[in-house]
Amino acid sequence: MALKPINRKADRMVTYLANQGDVPEAEQMAGPVGPAAGAVEGGADENAEDVVALGGRLPEVPEIPHIPLGCSLVFAPGWEVDEAGGTAGLCQPVERDLFDCHLACFWPAHVPDQLNHSPDWTGKCAAAQNDWRKLEMIFP
Amino acid sequence: MVHRPRLTRARLLAGLIAAGSFVVASGASAQSDEEGFPIDHETIRARCAACHLPDSEGRMSRISFERKTPEGWQGSLQRMISLNGVTLAPEEAREIVKYLSDQQGLAPEELRPGLFEVEKRMIDHRYLADTDVEFTCIQCHSMGRVITQRRTREEWELLMSTHRGYYPLADFQAFLRMGPTPDQPGPDGEPPDTRQPMERAVDHLSEVFPLHTPEWAAWSATMRPPRLEGTWVMSGHWPGRGALYGTVTMGGGGEQDAFVTRASYTFPGTGETVTRRGRGLVYTGYQWRGRSFESDEADGAMREVMLVERGMNEISGRWFRGDYDEIGMDVRLTRLAGSPVVAGVHPRALQLGGGEREVRIFGAGFADGVGPGDVDLGPGLTVNRVVSASSEEIALNVTLAPDAVPGGRDVFVGGATLAQAVVVHDGVDRIQVLPRTGMARVGGIVFPKGYQQFEAVAFDDGPDGRPSSDDDLELGPVEVDWSLEEYAATFDDNDIEFVGSIDQTGLFVPAADGPNPDRDRNRNNVGDVWVVATLVQDDNGDRPLRARAHLVVTVPLYLLFDAGANVSTGASPDPAASPNGRGSRTPGPNPGMGGSPK
Repeated sequence: MALKPINRKADRMVTYLANQGDVPEAEQMAGPVGPAAGAVEGGADENAEDVVALGGRLPEVPEIPHIPLGCSLVFAPGWEVDEAGGTAGLCQPVERDLFDCHLACFWPAHVPDQLNHSPDWTGKCAAAQNDWRKLEMIFP
Repeated sequence: MVHRPRLTRARLLAGLIAAGSFVVASGASAQSDEEGFPIDHETIRARCAACHLPDSEGRMSRISFERKTPEGWQGSLQRMISLNGVTLAPEEAREIVKYLSDQQGLAPEELRPGLFEVEKRMIDHRYLADTDVEFTCIQCHSMGRVITQRRTREEWELLMSTHRGYYPLADFQAFLRMGPTPDQPGPDGEPPDTRQPMERAVDHLSEVFPLHTPEWAAWSATMRPPRLEGTWVMSGHWPGRGALYGTVTMGGGGEQDAFVTRASYTFPGTGETVTRRGRGLVYTGYQWRGRSFESDEADGAMREVMLVERGMNEISGRWFRGDYDEIGMDVRLTRLAGSPVVAGVHPRALQLGGGEREVRIFGAGFADGVGPGDVDLGPGLTVNRVVSASSEEIALNVTLAPDAVPGGRDVFVGGATLAQAVVVHDGVDRIQVLPRTGMARVGGIVFPKGYQQFEAVAFDDGPDGRPSSDDDLELGPVEVDWSLEEYAATFDDNDIEFVGSIDQTGLFVPAADGPNPDRDRNRNNVGDVWVVATLVQDDNGDRPLRARAHLVVTVPLYLLFDAGANVSTGASPDPAASPNGRGSRTPGPNPGMGGSPK
């Protein structure tokens, strides 16, 4: 059984291979033509949702990344959100990264700093990924 | 905004090694020729003069050259206690914060742009006066911290030095330029700005937020102890619970600027009635800081941050609780002084069609024996009879004419009026989810959960029939079905399975903190999802209306510079209570200053 192209781009590739490269390069870039056009015409609707996240216009998408109060956006990654305004770029799990943040005072408004306020914050906690329950929230 | 290269910790460490003893002058440190404020307070002089030497004019180094909010002064004292070995009894700390906030505070006009900071509102703040300076400051904290201070130039420079001393990496995170010195003219043809970011910040902040301003001169000349005793009419809005109306009675609190309160209010949407007792202290003649308790139980404790308007007839602000101050309501108080006051109408939105209906007017001071002729709801609305009436609530039987013109109506009751108290509409055309973007924090095992409340607001498209145009009619919150949908940011991350859940009041409850062994790479239960509201209208068979908002569920905070949590509000009604819901979590090195545990 032939595999079904999952979206328009895949469909164009299948059509191109089927035609063994007969489709001029410029037309490949512009979109399906000839036999491929028909194939996509028929499959366009059912496949349309496949590419909605790539090219579709999502309603009510915030115009700009949200910067919540007190949050910094610009580091890679940031504390609450990454550069894209989401969480995909955060260090994960965060416990793996906590000691570095503590020792380097890298997030002084988010993680207790070893240099000044909380030199012993990790005293009960040898490996944050395992012992993170021994950490405490600090009110400097 | 100037584009800056991405800064990762790996790059940062490389930069540190390469930089060696890289030192940049922190700008001119010329002696300020501005006059500071003499300190005429015995406790401050006794406890602070060892380091902050007074001069012949009674001015003390650093202290005399700043103005701040109560939270700002509290933060300074906390730092002195935490890091500089100062010991203060709680009552001494309260005295100092009160004196400095009164004598070296902010004028109302100066505070207003930064109200969101003290009211703990999570908003999308933009500081447009200088986006490069904003960029420098918000690397670590809200711009609200900055714009609620006033300093001499030398003090702004010393502030930078303090940051650099305590947090050396700040140089590489924000204060120094990462990259070569620009040597080409900018797009405007002007010579390149070769200042370091922190130098630019000092230049800007000392110009825009100086120690002496006309606003402060004017306010400090007229500032006086507020006279708030009496009865106030309360109206408010609690996202997820709707409008609320009631009264607040204030009495003297036994010392200057202190008050005791008793609040009683009703949510007309649910019929729930709440009674609170509390205390408040007014700083700088207008900044209300209070705590109130529901039925004498600490669980219902809320902090109150409000601004007393000039004239002392209006007070507004936010009452809140939650570990991240995320749960609460907007509140407005209007003084009841003889004549009645209308606080609001329920239901506010009246849809055309249907027969008679009941409308309730909330307020205070309504006269006895009010009749239909004493109430005017506007064109197209006929008051048939008064169903019931008290001094604080009037229930009416009303008929809405089929040809009534859609739009807002001012309401008149016995000489009192409220603008746009009722809105007539011909159906819901769209809904919107507020906030449009939200943030929650995983928690519940060690660190607290950070909740996010959503609310769906309905709109009528107005006379032009076009959505999102100026004539749209806002109809207020509506009940909807709430659900979550995957936000397609990362392939196959399945955030929706891990981040938490939303209930049918629109409250998102995040999942637990800590690594999740059931998740790929032990990831935390963080993620991005859509929060979707669906309104099924059963009257016309239209397809359901939907709207959505973006929700970020993210990691906890591991420390809270939350000075405001402890600003004194006078004696606590229950010293053993946990006034902000933080339970008995161990504080840091700070000995409690506010007289009540965090």
